[in-house]
Amino acid sequence: MTSQTADLTVRRSITVAAPPAKAFEVFTSGIDRWWPRGHHIDDSPLKREVIEPRAGGRCYGLSEDGTEAVWGRVLAWEPPGRFVFAWHLDGEWKYDPDPAHASEVEVRFLPAGGGTRVELVHRHIERHGATAAKVSAGVASEGGWPGLLAEFAKLAA
Amino acid sequence: MANRSVAFAALGDPTRRAVFERLARGPRPVGEIARGLPVTRPAVSQHLRVLKDAGLVRERRQGTRRLYSVDPSGLEAMRGYLDQFWNRALAAFKTAAERAHAEDR
Repeated sequence: MTSQTADLTVRRSITVAAPPAKAFEVFTSGIDRWWPRGHHIDDSPLKREVIEPRAGGRCYGLSEDGTEAVWGRVLAWEPPGRFVFAWHLDGEWKYDPDPAHASEVEVRFLPAGGGTRVELVHRHIERHGATAAKVSAGVASEGGWPGLLAEFAKLAA
Repeated sequence: MANRSVAFAALGDPTRRAVFERLARGPRPVGEIARGLPVTRPAVSQHLRVLKDAGLVRERRQGTRRLYSVDPSGLEAMRGYLDQFWNRALAAFKTAAERAHAEDR
């Protein structure tokens, strides 16, 4: 089984029984209500996930000890229809501040009946290439690939 | 390059995962990978073949021996991981959004 290597884009959509404005609000300001736990990149336990509500705002996990573990940056803040952020986590699930190494997640909130169709595109995953190469150079670390592997295992089970 | 479901299936086996984790720390020959693992060397070679077919591991010759390492791109695996990540995340988001909407009514 093979697939096209060129397509390094993730496309997902889901319909929710809530209007676009509410869907936008929960996705962004309410991210702490749904963002999967266990993806926090700081040593101190996660207190809550935060997205600053403006273009240029930061996406970060606030630790119990007050540390702000940044993992993204808001590129477009257009409620209630569109939200785009840069994904600054590399192949080792570590923060990489360089925009040239960040992929991009665009989320659209489209009216559908009384609810919302949420369309998500995670693109430019190839930009993580430079850091993904570190894996083979032996820079695997706790919470990096081994952590991802544990996740893989759960998903594969 | 392999389909992500192949990569996932390849890492579903605990021994294969152990093999992959060793390679994530740096390139190694098969003998070194097998050391300390509760399986035979031919079994490790078999696991390496599956990982190679899944696009997770590559092999190269160095003198008379073969060195195995994690595929440097790692990108397809990462894409597969993100694909699964968003699957779970969006399902959780749907639940949260609908609950928040119901609370408002």
